[in-house]
Amino acid sequence: MTTPAAAIEVSGLTKEFGGLRAVDRVSLSVAPGERRVLIGPNGAGKTTLFHCITGTLRPSAGRVSLFGREVTRLPEHRRTALGMGRTFQISNVFADLSLFENLALAILGTDRRKWMMHRPVAAFDDVCRRAREGLELVGLAHRERTVVRLLSYGERRQLELALALSSGPRVLFLDEPCAGLSPSERQRISRMIGALPRAITVLMIEHDMDVALGLADRVTVLHRGRVILEGTPGEVQANPEVREVYFGHV
Amino acid sequence: MRNALRVPLALAALAVAVLLPVAAGPFWTGLLTQMYVFGLLALSVDLLLGHAGLFSLCHASFFAVSAYTTAILQVRHAVPTALAAPAGLLAGTLLGLVFGFAVRTRGVYFILITIAFGYVVWGVAHRWSSFTGGDNGVTNVPFPDVGAVRVESHTEYYYLVLAVVLLCALGYRLLVASPFGLTLRGIRASETRMRSLGYHSGLHLYAAFVVSAALASLAGVLYVYYNRFVNPVAASFPISVEAALMAIIGGTGTIVGPFIGSMIILWLRNWVSSFFELYASVMGLVFIAAVLWAPQGVVGLVGRLRARLAGAGSG
Ligand SMILES: Nc1ncnc2c1ncn2[C@@H]1O[C@H](COP(=O)(O)OP(=O)(O)OP(=O)(O)O)[C@@H](O)[C@H]1O
Ligand SMILES: [Mg+2]
Repeated sequence: MTTPAAAIEVSGLTKEFGGLRAVDRVSLSVAPGERRVLIGPNGAGKTTLFHCITGTLRPSAGRVSLFGREVTRLPEHRRTALGMGRTFQISNVFADLSLFENLALAILGTDRRKWMMHRPVAAFDDVCRRAREGLELVGLAHRERTVVRLLSYGERRQLELALALSSGPRVLFLDEPCAGLSPSERQRISRMIGALPRAITVLMIEHDMDVALGLADRVTVLHRGRVILEGTPGEVQANPEVREVYFGHV
Repeated sequence: MRNALRVPLALAALAVAVLLPVAAGPFWTGLLTQMYVFGLLALSVDLLLGHAGLFSLCHASFFAVSAYTTAILQVRHAVPTALAAPAGLLAGTLLGLVFGFAVRTRGVYFILITIAFGYVVWGVAHRWSSFTGGDNGVTNVPFPDVGAVRVESHTEYYYLVLAVVLLCALGYRLLVASPFGLTLRGIRASETRMRSLGYHSGLHLYAAFVVSAALASLAGVLYVYYNRFVNPVAASFPISVEAALMAIIGGTGTIVGPFIGSMIILWLRNWVSSFFELYASVMGLVFIAAVLWAPQGVVGLVGRLRARLAGAGSG
């Protein structure tokens, strides 16, 4: 009998930019349903690692599998079709479209009907309903018709999350979802992430140790492109090397 | 109020369009036919420009290839309109399938590559005289005759073009409101996000390019039966530029915009060239003025004026 495949399995992943090794032979395995938090100082290679796993960037070496299926060579949109979803560290939303249109694009991305040319988007009842539900989840339902350009920074961060969730991912990659938010917004978002069903595996980059350690099943610490430690939140917090690297001189 | 006015306005415009040939006489009927045809060409350019955010400068190619194909079949080979017109449409669309590979590039590279494509087609029209008729082109194209629809005068042709253009506008309206149309605007706003949401953005842009080429080809077919001849001018760079200018001056991302732009530019050309040889320079100045003072085109200008009036009314 074989053990069930990991949701995400990364082995020997390396990404070089010119002479710089942003990600250096990283291997990690995330179980289905797990909440994995990645921490590490600025420039550690966390975002680059995400980019390589989700297909935004091509790794220089190494392999990535999703539920046992190798996806290293698949383009990004195919990986999304197979169940990956992500948010971006810098909000990447459709600024000149309405919130409804933003959500509709997220919902239709993994749906064949995105190719339809003869029926208005507004005529798809299920898309409208799911768009409203997606916006309700992040508390933006009342602004369905608003153009995204008019949203505040915090509201855009929440929309960012709604987009990632609306494509119905099995594995969700969150790149600092709480960065730059007010304490109350931060609380709301972390509560929302905590409430996600275990059917969704979550990988999250987070600088805020309270948020990170509150949500994580396991934590991976990255430093200069390498994994220097992996363990439970308690183990990571107690580790002197991590305290040294992550919190500077303590 | 916006929606309440829309239907009566559209009906009034339709009534004017239907009655104009009766009231205005042959000169204006001809000019209006031309305005509709070039408006359709501008609309095809605007599917890419105003929705997908791609600035194509090779649409004269599809326009000309379909016009030449229809003309050559109809004049030299006595092929009936019922076959010659669809063949023209098909030839232009097939060229779109080839030129569509331009969507592998973005921004200024896309513009440059489409300019190069356009010159290739113009060169063929100009130089391969045994096939294209060289500078003289193909002349003596008859009025279209499709059994049931048999056109015998410019006035009748005007109504045929009006009907085809209206149908196209209705279809276009569905297209841009559809998931496919939304996808194009999504790609323009953020292609990276579209990819991460599961879209093969290149394939969507390619499809949009081909649809746009098909629309330009249809304009080419309508053009050749109006003009009664086609020569390399139809394939020339200025036609591609003018089509884009029409969309910009009228208002990109809208349906009436390209038609308004077409009317303004063709009317200006007609009027200015009657007393001033440097008409092209005047058009250049008009374009500069539009970019400086009405970057959203006439449609945007009207919207701004209305917002100001509404503000003054309530304030
Ligand atoms: N496209 C790129 N080209 C060249 N170098 C890059 C590129 N992207 C990232 N880098 C470099 O790779 C290293 C890792 O960057 P990355 O953004 O992955 O770090 P990070 O851990 O996400 O940092 P932060 O916490 O600041 O977001 C940095 O030194 C960065 O300058
Ligand atoms: Mg980062």
